Amino acid sequence: MTVQRDLVFHTNPNKDFVRGEYDYAHVEHWYHLRGQRLNYLGLPAPEMLDIITWEKFLNRFTTIEREENQQHLMFLRANVRDVEHRLFSLYGEFDEILLKGRDQLGRRPEWPYDVVNLDYFGGFIYQDLSRPKAIKKLISNQVDFQRSFLMIITYHLRDGDIIGAKASFLDDLRRQLTSSTVDAKTRKAIDRAMDWYSDPNTPDSQRQTLLVNSFLRDTGEAEHFDVLCRPAVLYSGTGSASMIHFVTDFTFRARTAHKTSSKQSMFELVDLGTREVKDAKLIKSAAKAPRLSGV
Amino acid sequence: MNPSAPPKEFVYAPAILILSQDLYPRKVEVVREYIQNASDAIDSFGAMAHLLDDTSEPVIKVSIQGRSLLVFDNGIGMGAEDVEKLRYIAYSEKKAGEEAGYKGIGRLAGFAVAEKLKISSTRYGDPQLHHFEIRAKEMRDEISQNKKKGFVETASEVINRHTDIWSTPADDPKDHYTIVEIRGIYESCSELLDGTRLKEYIGDIAPVDFSPEFKWGSRISQWLHKDVPDYSPKTIYLSMSNGERIKVYKPYVDSMSISEPQPIAVRDPANPNNVLALCWYATKGQQMLDELRPSGKIFTVDGDGDKKRFAGLVYKLFGFSIGDRHLPVKTLWDRSFPRALWFTGEIHIIDKEVQPITDRSDFIESDARDRLYKASALIPSTLNQQAQVISYDRNAFKEGETFNVKLQQLKSRLLAKNIEKAELKSIRADLNRGRADLQARIDNCSDPAIEKYGKNVQKFAATVQKELDEAKIIKGGDGDIADVAHELKMTSQARRVFEIIMDVLQDYHGKDTETYHEVAGKISKRLRNKY
Repeated sequence: MTVQRDLVFHTNPNKDFVRGEYDYAHVEHWYHLRGQRLNYLGLPAPEMLDIITWEKFLNRFTTIEREENQQHLMFLRANVRDVEHRLFSLYGEFDEILLKGRDQLGRRPEWPYDVVNLDYFGGFIYQDLSRPKAIKKLISNQVDFQRSFLMIITYHLRDGDIIGAKASFLDDLRRQLTSSTVDAKTRKAIDRAMDWYSDPNTPDSQRQTLLVNSFLRDTGEAEHFDVLCRPAVLYSGTGSASMIHFVTDFTFRARTAHKTSSKQSMFELVDLGTREVKDAKLIKSAAKAPRLSGV
Repeated sequence: MNPSAPPKEFVYAPAILILSQDLYPRKVEVVREYIQNASDAIDSFGAMAHLLDDTSEPVIKVSIQGRSLLVFDNGIGMGAEDVEKLRYIAYSEKKAGEEAGYKGIGRLAGFAVAEKLKISSTRYGDPQLHHFEIRAKEMRDEISQNKKKGFVETASEVINRHTDIWSTPADDPKDHYTIVEIRGIYESCSELLDGTRLKEYIGDIAPVDFSPEFKWGSRISQWLHKDVPDYSPKTIYLSMSNGERIKVYKPYVDSMSISEPQPIAVRDPANPNNVLALCWYATKGQQMLDELRPSGKIFTVDGDGDKKRFAGLVYKLFGFSIGDRHLPVKTLWDRSFPRALWFTGEIHIIDKEVQPITDRSDFIESDARDRLYKASALIPSTLNQQAQVISYDRNAFKEGETFNVKLQQLKSRLLAKNIEKAELKSIRADLNRGRADLQARIDNCSDPAIEKYGKNVQKFAATVQKELDEAKIIKGGDGDIADVAHELKMTSQARRVFEIIMDVLQDYHGKDTETYHEVAGKISKRLRNKY
C-alpha cells in the first residue's frame, strides 16, 4: 500500500524566537559558565531545531523519542546536518525512561547533563503525575553527579486541572508564606496576591507559572540545588496552540543535611509572573499579580 | 486461496525467504550491500554534479543507534518511482559491469538480520522526501506460518501487505541523499552493531582510500588512479558508540612494516594494450641497513585477531573486495603456495566483464574470468621470482650480519691480545670459510645496498685477517710448557718427560708451528682438565 503521512514538524516565528533568541542566550551563558560544550538531554522533534540552533554550544545530544518513524527521521536529519556521531537517541516514553532508568532497548541515559530541554506534547500535569515524577527523578540523577544544569520546559497550556490540585496548592502556599511572616502589612500583601491567583478571572497561565516554578524550586532545593526561576514565557505555537515555557537554573550547592535555600526568595518567585512573545519580541503580560517583594 | 489452485504468478512468497536467508554466511557482510548501493549512488551523482550548483563532499556515513545500523549517502538519491521499485525483487536498472551492484537483491540483505528496514531518500530538485518501510520479521513469520499450513500466496501480495511507501515534503529541494535503517537487528547478528568490527570490515572490503599513516599509500594511489579507470575511493565515516566519528581507511599502516610496494599490469595476451587488472604488492619489511627491506616471511601483523589476516592478495572490483585473500592463491597459484603469503596487496580488476557471484566470495564462471585468470598467471610467476630474489638478498644480509658480528668479536680479542696460539689455525679456517660463504651470498644478491654491505664486510674480514697474521703478542708459546708443569705441580721427573714429548712434537711439525701450537694447546688443556 502507498500512504501519505505528514511527519514534518512545523515551527513558527514565535517558537523560532524562543528557541533562537531567548533560550539561545541562556544556553550560551551556560556554555561560558561551564567553559566547555554542554551535554544535552531533550525531547526534540525530528527536525532537532533546538540542537541545530545551539549546536556550537553542545557536545553530545541524548534525545528521547517514542515513535519509530520520528526517530528514523531524527537519524536522517542528524546525518544531513552532519551531527549523527553526537546523537544518542533513546527509544521510549521520556517519563518511563527517567523512572525506570533505561529505554525500551535497555540503554541508559548518559548522566549527567548540562542542558535539559523538555518540549512536551500535551500538558505538564496529568492524573498520574508521571511528568513531575520524571522531573524529580531527573533532578535526583543530576545531584548524584553534583552537576548544575539548565532546565527548559515547554508544554501545551491547558486550563484543565486535577480536581482541586491548583486550589490546594495555592492554599498551601498561602499558609507557607504567612506562617513565616509576622508583619501584618506583608501578610495582607500575601493574601492579596494569593487571592488574585485564586480568582477564577485570573488567567490559568498565571497559576500554572506559580505552580511549576514552585515545584521546580522545591524539588531542586530538596536535592541541594539553588534554583533560579524565571517568568514563564507564553506564546502561540504551531496550530495556534498556547504554549508555556520555563527556563530554570539549577546550581548545585555543597550537600548539607538540610535542603538548600535558593538565593531567589519565595516572594520574588511569586512576583515572577509571565512574559509573552508577540511579533518576535518578548513583552510583559497584561495580567500581573499584586507585588509581594519590597512590600 | 485454494492451495490446489495457486494464483497465476511466477514468483511465490517462500521465494522471498530463500532469496534473503543464508545469503551471507557472515552477517557483517550485510553492510557491504548498502555501502555498495551508496557508492553507486555517489558515482551516479558525481557524473551529473558538475551540471548542478552542488559542492557537497560526497560521503557515506555508517552509524549505530541502539539496535539500528544506519547507512547514509549523499549520492543521487531516489525519486518516488525508484522507491516504489524497492518492492521489486531482483529488479535492477543498474547495468552489469558499470556499477558495483546490479542484481537487485542486495537491498534485501537487511531483511534476514532485522525486524524492519526503513529507507528514506530524495533526489536533487525533488520537493518530496520518499519513505519505504518493510516489516521484515512480520513478513517472514507470516510466510513461514503460511507455508506450514500449506497456504501459498504470491510474492507480490505478501510484499504489498508488509511494506509501506509514503512521501513528505523535503527540507530542501536541493537535498539529495538516501538513508537506510536496518532496525531491530537480532541478537544473533550483533556483530553488525559492533563499531570496531565494522571499522575493520569496511576498511577491508570497501572502496576507501589509503590511510595517511601509510607512507606508500600515495604512491599506490597514483598507480591506481592512472591505470584503473573507475578507481574512486569513497569517504566513509563511521560513528562509534562513544560519539567518536572516524574516517575509515584501508587497513595498511606503517606500523605493519610494509616494504616498498611494486605494481604489475596484467595485460590481455591477445591484445597487450588491453590492461585487464592492476596488481600492487609488497612484502613484510624488516629493518635492514636503516631501511625497511623485504623480510621473506609470511606477512603477519601483531594484534588481537588473526596475525595472517593481511597475508596474500585480494581481488578488487569497483573497489570492493571479491572473496578473501585465499581466492587469488586458489585461482592463480599452482605451486609455492606459502610464498603467495609473503605478500600483501590488491588485484584491481579493470575488465568489467568479470562479475562476482551474489555473496561476492568468488567470480561467476565466464570467458572473461578465464581470460583474467590466464593473464594473471603473470602475478604468481612475478611474485615467486620476487620471493626468490628476496630470499637471496635476505640470506646475503643475514650472512653478512652474522659474519660481521664474528669479525667484531675477533677484532676485540685481537686488540685485547686474547687469542691463544692453539686457536690460530681454527680461527683462520673459520675466517676463510666465512669469507667464501659470504661471497657466494653476495654473488646471488641483487639488492645493491645489501651487496655493498656484504662487500664492506668482506673488506673488514680481509683487514682482520691481516691483523691476525701480523699479530706479535699472542697468548701461549714456549712458556706454556713451563706454565703447565708449574701449574700442575709436576715432579721434576714428570716435567722432564713432558718436555721431551713436547720437544719431539715440535720437531715433528717442523715449520708448521701453528699445528704444533694447536696440538700443544690441546694437550695442555687436557692435562689441566684431568689434574
